[in-house]
Amino acid sequence: LLSSPPAPPALLPYVPRVPPAALPGKLTATTFALERPCCVFDRHANASDAVWLVVAFANASDAFRNPPSRADVPLYERLPTARSYMTLEAAAAAYACSAPSPAVLRVGGDTACGDQGGWDPCNGPLPSPGPYRVKFLVMGCQGPKAETRWSDPILLRRAGSPSTIDPAPARRGGDVVVITSILASLGTVLAAAALGAVGTEAWRSLCRRDSGTGTFSRRSYRTHHIPPALPQPLPPGCRCSPPGLGCFAPRPPAPCPAE
Amino acid sequence: MAKSGDGIRILQGLLVFGNVVIGMCGIALTAECIFFVSDPHGLYPLLEATENDDIYAAAWIGIFVGFALFALSILGIVGVIKSNRTLLLVYIILMLTTYAFEMASCITAATQRDFLTPNLFLKQMLERYNKSDTDNNNDKWMAEGVTKTWDELMLQKHCCGVRGPSDWQEYTSAFRSRHKDADFPWPHNCCVMDAQGSPVNLDGCKLGVPGYYNSNGCYDAISGPMNTQAWGVAWFGFAILCWTFCVLLGTMFYWSRIEY
Repeated sequence: LLSSPPAPPALLPYVPRVPPAALPGKLTATTFALERPCCVFDRHANASDAVWLVVAFANASDAFRNPPSRADVPLYERLPTARSYMTLEAAAAAYACSAPSPAVLRVGGDTACGDQGGWDPCNGPLPSPGPYRVKFLVMGCQGPKAETRWSDPILLRRAGSPSTIDPAPARRGGDVVVITSILASLGTVLAAAALGAVGTEAWRSLCRRDSGTGTFSRRSYRTHHIPPALPQPLPPGCRCSPPGLGCFAPRPPAPCPAE
Repeated sequence: MAKSGDGIRILQGLLVFGNVVIGMCGIALTAECIFFVSDPHGLYPLLEATENDDIYAAAWIGIFVGFALFALSILGIVGVIKSNRTLLLVYIILMLTTYAFEMASCITAATQRDFLTPNLFLKQMLERYNKSDTDNNNDKWMAEGVTKTWDELMLQKHCCGVRGPSDWQEYTSAFRSRHKDADFPWPHNCCVMDAQGSPVNLDGCKLGVPGYYNSNGCYDAISGPMNTQAWGVAWFGFAILCWTFCVLLGTMFYWSRIEY
């Protein structure tokens, strides 16, 4: 039974892109965020269709061929060999105009999958910084029904090593120079003053102990005055006698010899 | 007396007043340095891990110098009032020693302020936060200190990284080697937490949606207290030293004029 070849999927003009808002987490080393396409698939998909996200390396996006059925969908585990995979399978109703939705989709945010090697589609972290290109693909029961255009290449972050960080300060602050110079000069003046005061004292005490060398002493030599001894008054009863001979008590005159 | 009685009295009065001020400033310096050493902001582990905690050494010296200044000021007052040469000589010598120590403390504290750059803390955070394969006990101790301090800092000051959460994205780190980038673009403590301590919206935090993560860097919360400490020790010590310089010169002049 020959069935007619499936119609090629309708090409929608929508271009997927990373949200322009300044979200620091929209591009990390293994994940990236995409704007959620709203009202894009309504005309081409009915409620039972699934919308997939195709992720391919930027240089492999041209070689990507839409899988003819759900069983042929390349999965996350085959990314290193097939250079592309499909993930984020969601019902078309999730992208409908009326659906309340978060504004971004996060690709690579599921770290729990991919280990068991199962057949379920996995939104695992991307293994390398890329660059990658993505597009949305609407898959019906008969195969792909509609697709969007490929996005611009998305390059993930590459982290540098912390050893490249130089912690040295840019330049010396003015504080240090002021404090150091002023304190050093004050300290020097104090030390000089202390040495001067102590030196002067040592000088003075050295001079006071010297006893005769007139050239160093500054004070005038005070003579000790030795008064000459005054003559002692003669004891009463002494006749004058030549000085130095002492004093003798006078004797009564001897009786005169008889005549 | 070599000078007139009035001149000596005025000089004595000035010296006593100068010593009273030195005593009070000494107590203030001790109190200030005890406050800094007690680490009210819990930032000491970060400084310890830089292996250059000279600011704390300067504060410790400040404690003892302040106390010494207080004791010496009392000695100085007694010596000046009694005009005792020996007491004043002891006072001058000990004051000069204390002066030298306080000089060292001031210059150290002033120099250390320049050392605390954002890059220093960034490198330390990236290399030590959540580090698991530590080389030795000392390394392990420092890594644990840094991790604990950063966790508390991010929770209490509502900040992330040194300049912002992108620090964790721009560089590889010990944290990155333990936690996958897809789950933890930055540590979960960077997320806005609810009353139970879990993130309000983890997906929003991972994407960086405003309101669900802390977008500020923590550098201001770290450098603010540290700079205040360094500034306080350095400039207050400098002011005390300038005043002490004048009092010491006056005392030396007074000492040289006392007759035996």
